Amino acid sequence: MQLLRNLFDRIEPLVQPGGKYEKLYPLYEGIESFCFTPPERTRSGPHVRDVLDLKRMMVLVVFALIPCILMAMFNTGYQIHRVVEAGGTTLDTWQSTVYGLTGLPLATSSWVGNFVHGALYFVPVYLVTMTAGGICEVIFSLVRGHAINEGFLVTGTLIPLILPPAIPYWQVVLGTAFGVVIGKEIFGGTGMNFLNPALTARAFLFFAYPAQISGEVWVAATPADGQSGATWLASFAEGSGHLAGFTWTDAFLGLIPGSMGETSVLAVLLGAALLLLTRVGAWQTMAGVLAGTLATAALLNTVGSDTNAMMSLPPHWHLVLGGWAFGTVFMATDPVSSAFTSTGKLWYGVGIGVLSRSSS
Amino acid sequence: MLDKQSRGALLDPLVDDNPIAKQVLGICSALAVTTLLQPSLVMCLAVTAVLVASNVSISLIRQWIPSSIRIIVQLTIISSLVILTDQVLKAYAYGVSRQLSVFVGLIITNCILMGRAEAFAMQNGPKASFFDAIGNGAGYSLILLIVAALREFFGAGSLFGVRILPLAADGGWYVPNGLMVLSPAAFFLIGGIVWAVRTWKPAQVEIERVVHIEELPHDTSHRDGADRRAA
Amino acid sequence: MAESRRDTPLYTIGFAALVCIVCALPIAWAAVSLRPRQELNARIDRLEKVLGVAGFMEPGESLTAEQVEARFAEAIVPRAIDLSTGAAVDTIDVATYDQRKAMKDPALSVPAPENAARVVSLPRVAVVYEVRRGDSLQAIVLPIQGYGLWSTMYGYIALAGDARTVNGITFYEHGETAGLGGEIENPRWQAKWVGRRALDDTGAVQLQVIKGAAGPPADDPYRVDGLSGATITGRGVTSTLDFWLGANAFGPYLARVRAGGN
Repeated sequence: MQLLRNLFDRIEPLVQPGGKYEKLYPLYEGIESFCFTPPERTRSGPHVRDVLDLKRMMVLVVFALIPCILMAMFNTGYQIHRVVEAGGTTLDTWQSTVYGLTGLPLATSSWVGNFVHGALYFVPVYLVTMTAGGICEVIFSLVRGHAINEGFLVTGTLIPLILPPAIPYWQVVLGTAFGVVIGKEIFGGTGMNFLNPALTARAFLFFAYPAQISGEVWVAATPADGQSGATWLASFAEGSGHLAGFTWTDAFLGLIPGSMGETSVLAVLLGAALLLLTRVGAWQTMAGVLAGTLATAALLNTVGSDTNAMMSLPPHWHLVLGGWAFGTVFMATDPVSSAFTSTGKLWYGVGIGVLSRSSS
Repeated sequence: MLDKQSRGALLDPLVDDNPIAKQVLGICSALAVTTLLQPSLVMCLAVTAVLVASNVSISLIRQWIPSSIRIIVQLTIISSLVILTDQVLKAYAYGVSRQLSVFVGLIITNCILMGRAEAFAMQNGPKASFFDAIGNGAGYSLILLIVAALREFFGAGSLFGVRILPLAADGGWYVPNGLMVLSPAAFFLIGGIVWAVRTWKPAQVEIERVVHIEELPHDTSHRDGADRRAA
Repeated sequence: MAESRRDTPLYTIGFAALVCIVCALPIAWAAVSLRPRQELNARIDRLEKVLGVAGFMEPGESLTAEQVEARFAEAIVPRAIDLSTGAAVDTIDVATYDQRKAMKDPALSVPAPENAARVVSLPRVAVVYEVRRGDSLQAIVLPIQGYGLWSTMYGYIALAGDARTVNGITFYEHGETAGLGGEIENPRWQAKWVGRRALDDTGAVQLQVIKGAAGPPADDPYRVDGLSGATITGRGVTSTLDFWLGANAFGPYLARVRAGGN
């Protein structure tokens, strides 16, 4: 540790104003304060909590996301193997080739196999996001001469979790760059944005490449009968009382197709516990979303509809589908783009709950 | 050569006082018609033609317009010109006029027209008004064509309908960006242009400034400026 | 400047009247003198669509008005038919009849029975386009319209002389999502319809847009590929066919064609 400190102390004069590499100060500051507690901390505003500075708060969120990351890898592999077991085939990608070389079985029963196969899809997307977003952050920091936004640690982890597994990497790059630049930097960087950069990235991809963000990218395998993932919701409307092939427990554990990291309510709950214990995430927002969702879902379910499958879905199903839990815990509680006061957070949450159900 | 006033009227609206990027007028059509270059070009020509005709004719009769009905008179002249344009397009450019559909008629509501009539043509002679209309038409067209070129290029991989990027669906490599086809893309692009212009010319940035009472001018000469903004 | 004179009520009213007259003249002139050209344009546009769906014109092919007229006159006979019976009527001039306008005119239309295509009213008389070679009927083109996800989609469907097999389909006006439902105007998708069977042997409408890919027409005659991400638009196209080829609309006419009695 002392060795590292000495190194930083040696570099520091070079990047101070007037030094040889003064333009690179933000880069220096970013790495230095990641390794050591910086001398200045936020003392006012939304983050005034003992010695907790913004960067450490963001790191806590990343920790809270670890269960989701692990589940993302496991479930991505699990879904591929589930489709293969039903007679489908893997995609013609390098991941399939590499997985074949490991000699692991294409079976849902192989936990290691699921995990490794999923990681082959998740890890590259994660690295691409971090690289693309990191480059955007550094460019803006250098041009504007402010410190590198630590918020990207969280944004960069959220983005791969809300993307489908087989998404092309160039789309990841475009989406991340759009999310960081239009969702955040254009307003002046972390703290100034009213949009959540990760959601901006997802929305961009959804509108820009709608045909690619549907069908088999959601499960990195080709099913035998040519049916894509969207159909299983429709089977609910036909009165089967459950989603084709999936039970409520499956959905709760996260063993359903979807964005890589947002299917598992269990993993999200583990993360939520950490956020609530450390008081990084606001319980008011989460409670508000829960109340708003249940009320609207119950109302819609009472009204019912023959044509809209979502309306015939009982309320408890709403909580385990479509990344609802993930959005509630990790998106709605974003301290920058959400409400400021406790009462405000509660109503902000209720608004999210009501809107997200009525529009689906 | 042009006299100083005409030169200013012609050149200022291109960048320094651009109707879209600086005054943020005429945004509705800039969002609606810019998915492809060809209809955008027709739209630009139509707006410029109407603007020139309305500016010159309003300037010619400005001495005789009763002030109590001047807005209605301007509106009557502008809407007549728009109907005329719409009829001509339907007769001679049917395909494009179908693509533009209601947006030709909506030139009437394009704030640039009323803005220039009220702010410029009512106070200046026909010659200066002519150049002002050409200048503002060109400023409007400049932004529209930049936006349309970007939207068509990234949204369809072509320019003026000529394929530039081979589409993945036809065996090429380019996957068109669907966002570019939607109206919000024009918002992002115009926002980006405003950002770029203001970085290039920082004088365009409106700085909110606390004005002390004693700084306010005592005469009423600032009212022209206020009228113009209201237009 | 005579401020006082300009603001008297009489002057104001007189000026307003003068402006109105001066403005009205060129508009009236344009409306009258340009109308024949505009109507010709609208007519050529319609003929081109019919020619296109019947396979007499390639997508992207550009023809002069005269060429379109000539090609149309050579190949296609427009006929007015009474929708309720399917019999030809001769009380209507097919060259000037505007079916979309007639549908909105209570005197010329009847309320449509409830249908999934959300068609509100049916014209009493519809125009169909018949392609004849000598005495035998080669193909028929029918106007169709129905509601997709956001908008009413207007188009034409061409059936072969057996009044069952699809020769082509086109949609020329709609407000569906660009890139998703908007792909109904994509010639590549429209080409997938060719050779499918719209009606089965009993005359019931069977053809439907499915989710995912359908087989080749010979093996999978009653299904057409869906457009990815456009389930509801596809469903709208299915309902549109179901309604217009069904008993409430062109059904009686198609039955006559099959019976050879037309």
